[in-house]
Amino acid sequence: MTVAETLLQADHLTRVYATGRRRVRALDDVSLRVTRGQRLGVVGESGSGKSTLVRLLAGLDQPTSGTVGYAGRPVSGVPERRLGFLRSSVQLVLQDPRSSLNPRMRVDDIVAEPLRSPAVRRELGEIDRAVRVREVLDAVGLPADSMRRYPHEFSGGQRQRIAIARALAPSPEVLIADEAVSALDVSVRAQVLNLLMDLVAGLGLTLVFVSHDLAVVRHVCPDAVVLQGGRIVEAGPTLDLFARPRHAYTARLVAAIPSFRAR
Amino acid sequence: MLAIRGLTVAFGRRPPAVRDVSLDLDAGQRLGIIGESGSGKTATALAIMGLLPEYARVTGSIRLDGTELVGLSDREMSGLRGDALSMVFQEPMTALDPTMTAGRQVAEAFRLHRDRDVGRARTAVIDMLAAVGFDDPDRIADSYPHQLSGGQRQRVVTAMALVNRPGLVICDEPTTALDVTVQATVLRVLDEVLDAAGASCLFISHDLAVVSQLCSSVVVMLDGEIVERGTTEQVFHRPQHPYAAGLVATARLDLLEPGTRLPTVADHLRGAS
Repeated sequence: MTVAETLLQADHLTRVYATGRRRVRALDDVSLRVTRGQRLGVVGESGSGKSTLVRLLAGLDQPTSGTVGYAGRPVSGVPERRLGFLRSSVQLVLQDPRSSLNPRMRVDDIVAEPLRSPAVRRELGEIDRAVRVREVLDAVGLPADSMRRYPHEFSGGQRQRIAIARALAPSPEVLIADEAVSALDVSVRAQVLNLLMDLVAGLGLTLVFVSHDLAVVRHVCPDAVVLQGGRIVEAGPTLDLFARPRHAYTARLVAAIPSFRAR
Repeated sequence: MLAIRGLTVAFGRRPPAVRDVSLDLDAGQRLGIIGESGSGKTATALAIMGLLPEYARVTGSIRLDGTELVGLSDREMSGLRGDALSMVFQEPMTALDPTMTAGRQVAEAFRLHRDRDVGRARTAVIDMLAAVGFDDPDRIADSYPHQLSGGQRQRVVTAMALVNRPGLVICDEPTTALDVTVQATVLRVLDEVLDAAGASCLFISHDLAVVSQLCSSVVVMLDGEIVERGTTEQVFHRPQHPYAAGLVATARLDLLEPGTRLPTVADHLRGAS
């Protein structure tokens, strides 16, 4: 039996936002580990701390206390110029491709952007960016002539493919998808989810899939954690969370999923 | 009570957003309109409400209790809006005036159409806020929108739409912006107040499961046209049009083995051609 290797690790993460006199504890003593090849769902409603957790795991924000580590190396407190290892290994796909893609950049520049950072270049060595852009656009099913076009020339589903291509550019090991299909129509959602699952399987990626949509998490992630008010209230195999929720909040979430009823 | 015949809505030179749509709604009936963005759902709703911008060209007929709505002046239409028919919008933050208390906004609809008396309006408002599930209607009535949560705001908007007991309520994605647990509450409240008022309802949503819970019949729109219609049971269990079949298949995540490939609308359209 092999012990699964821990890639992402969060220990006792707390993040307090202070605005004026108000202090908001967005994340409260959250610990989790993501092992190589795992598909982990992070479920929660607005204000649960999902986005704060994502930002901390991706090294885009610093915890008030607690630590994030990647493959045994510390992330929290490390200056950006020495985070090349993280930037090349952990990539994000965000909710709204309309706001996460720069409208004034052409697709090839958008997709190549993660490869431009000096820290990432030190990590990856010399890469032929044009070749890499063609590879990842092909991987997400966009034609090669997409390269010279602008985001507004694409549909919502295609824009999300561009965002996925950008995330794949540095050949990451971990993909963090933050509500990546929430803004899409159902038919487009199915296509993008199929693409994500194919890529995760084909490239051996580790996936952290953040969503408010339990039905989607159940389909994509064998394991999940449930966040409420900045705390993890329950964690385990997703099907168990559905069938035998132990925490009252998980039970409420599961019961609230609109089910099909013909009357 | 609502009879739409050959409704076509066009904006400028672009192809019509709604094309030759006909549908009937009986008193007390709830009809779901499903379709994806750009399918013409909202344009249909706004045409019924008389809320399309001036440059929209509307042809065909919309009769509400025998009254032809197409071609009515703004003044005639605003006499009906909020009284004979009303609408619940998706975004309660934009549907509410941030500078007025919730109670005053609900009261305004009542005083405009029913009774100018402030005291009687207050009573009607408190009753309506209680009907949409508030345990403390007085406190809610005296709160400003920013003091309320998203789900509370959506219930206030629902109270505004129903305070005059309109015959027809149009709901456009009323729970799309809400968290699932809040959505469940708002849907339950909507179900109760529509029943209590005996109102007919056009319920627009991209969420098929939500529609299945609230509506007895459904139409599916694609590119401005109705491609499928029937009882909820028929459309969700025996869809005829390949697009409708694809939409249903792709939404039924609950029927799939986790981790397997999701069926897409394209699969069904390919299978049909």
